Amino acid sequence: MTINIGHLYYDILNLYGASGDVKAIKNYLEKQNIKVNIKFMTLNDEINLDDIDILYIGGGTENNQDLVLKHIKKYKKEILKYIEDNKLLIATSNSIELFGKTIDTKKALNIFDFNSTRVSFRIVDEAYFKFLNIPIIGFQNQGSVIKDIKENNLFEVLRGTGSFPKSKFEGYHYKNFYGTYLIGPILARNPKLLVYLMNNLIKSKDKKYKINKNILKIEEKAFQNFINLHYNNI
Amino acid sequence: MKTLSILIGKIMVLLGRLLNRGSVLPGYYALKIDKHLLEKITLPKNIIAVTGSNGKGSTSSLIVHILRSNGYKVTYNDKGSNLTNGITSAILEDISLSGKLKSDFLVMEVDERFTKHIFKTIKPNFVVITNIGRDQPPRQGHIDIVANDIKSALNKNMTLILNGDDPYLRQFVGKNIYYGIDKNRYSYTQNMFTSLDMNYCPNCHNKLEYNYYHFENDGDYYCSKCNFKRPNIDYLVTNIDYKNNTITVNNKYIIDMGYNILFSIYNTMAAFSLANILKLNIEKTIQAIKDMKKDTKIYHTYEYKNRLVTVLNNKNENNSTFNQSLLYIDRFKDQKVIVIGWKEISRRYEYDDLSWLYDIDFEILNKKNLECVVCVGIHAYDIATRIKLANISEDKIITYDTLEKATNYIKKKTKGNIYGILNFDYVKPFNELMEGQNDN
Repeated sequence: MTINIGHLYYDILNLYGASGDVKAIKNYLEKQNIKVNIKFMTLNDEINLDDIDILYIGGGTENNQDLVLKHIKKYKKEILKYIEDNKLLIATSNSIELFGKTIDTKKALNIFDFNSTRVSFRIVDEAYFKFLNIPIIGFQNQGSVIKDIKENNLFEVLRGTGSFPKSKFEGYHYKNFYGTYLIGPILARNPKLLVYLMNNLIKSKDKKYKINKNILKIEEKAFQNFINLHYNNI
Repeated sequence: MKTLSILIGKIMVLLGRLLNRGSVLPGYYALKIDKHLLEKITLPKNIIAVTGSNGKGSTSSLIVHILRSNGYKVTYNDKGSNLTNGITSAILEDISLSGKLKSDFLVMEVDERFTKHIFKTIKPNFVVITNIGRDQPPRQGHIDIVANDIKSALNKNMTLILNGDDPYLRQFVGKNIYYGIDKNRYSYTQNMFTSLDMNYCPNCHNKLEYNYYHFENDGDYYCSKCNFKRPNIDYLVTNIDYKNNTITVNNKYIIDMGYNILFSIYNTMAAFSLANILKLNIEKTIQAIKDMKKDTKIYHTYEYKNRLVTVLNNKNENNSTFNQSLLYIDRFKDQKVIVIGWKEISRRYEYDDLSWLYDIDFEILNKKNLECVVCVGIHAYDIATRIKLANISEDKIITYDTLEKATNYIKKKTKGNIYGILNFDYVKPFNELMEGQNDN
């Protein structure tokens, strides 16, 4: 099996260890004896998603987000088709905002029905969230909020801030689009989430593929120790 | 009011001395009594500020040492903090009751986020900005926020002393003087670092290209679509001799730095450039740099049973300090035992952000001569995860929750030279456990 990862805006939306998520994906798939190719795409490039199985986008400064916004809007059709075709797209940090209707007064991709606002404060907080029955750890560090996601939330907030101060939910989930403000990098720090996303993808390509277990022992220990350190009382 | 606050401040300074504590309290109380105190005092003509993410402490103390070696009286906030109260305390120590600072120079190490507050009342005529990089993201957000704060504090009449190899510093405009490093045997042409802060031309957003790199974003950069390129370098390092800890500047001056590490070159060059701008005696300046007491907290080597131990001091939540250590270690081809760890991620706040670990290129360690990586502390498995994702095989990754166990393992079960890539809070306990010297 071969899986192609597209790392979009790898050199401009590269804040807060974003490359770690791609490293975690690649390492897990290779341990499943899958051949992994990474296609790096960025500003001034043509974006072609035809062969891509996993598309990843990280976060950046407001200035860099503005530059990306101009570029990515040229490829709305391709990205919309990619999402509607049930393909896996993971957007972390403030890159989730690109897929909404607006970022402040600027028009965004307008694929999903939410709006982002840049605010005068920053949300800086540890996150303990839940996805299905999987507890999720991560971190938020952002200068913007999304207040109007009514349905399709990705995470339930157990401890932490969420999409805006005191919100009960965070992120956006539609088909195989997973958008979250969380940094972590969340796939490097949440082995169960990584296994869930990757095994679903592998099974979608080959139902009978034999998946190796117990290859994320170090990651599991890191996760468990962190929970014990910070959330022992929950 | 002014005299009273100065008097109280001076009494606090004396009390601090009796209690053997340098502190921020004199400044705190003096400003409580008269918050406009700093506007009312007479400052010396020459005020130097040193700011930036990394190296401002080392650079400012070197500048002070050079000035004093040239016979000048200098006021410097070396004891207190680099925020308003610490700087005020340093001034109070040397000020007369009438409010005149009786020094030839005021040198301030200034926290990069506090330049906008401090420069309002104390306007420096010389500003050294060492660099702006990813540092304490939970506190700083990101680098543009830091840069904007500094920009708002500057004006066009200030002489800025900047690292010309760093394209991100080009946004600062004053009377700019640049130092830099020419192509040498340690520069490289293929980018080694993934999470660079600036990949695009600020004018036309074309991808920046490099004739050669020295480290991360530092090097001879240019844009192939417009005229944005590395500026003319006023003070250029034309040769590096790490064996003898020396550099040559403008093919003329040989300077003995006492260190063989890249960031020392940039720190030294900032101080040397300023000394030239101030028209100090060059021979005395070079001698002063040579005589500067070496800081064994930052970089330290000793032997343990015929094995070389190298301890590199890093700051958590600051990828450049770790990347510097990796670049340094990569120069040596010996068999290596690497130790990575910390007591806590940050003293400032309770939460533990780990994202910065992925802005560090630990992949550089993945060479044949790597014996093992020992990951230590409460986040040992988070460090181990990062090391694993650098494609280092799991049988080379060892984890321990304490330094005692880790050093025990290193002494008994490993053979290679030992390199500690440690947060500053692990440096002293590590040295003690490895039976090395510790001067401080």
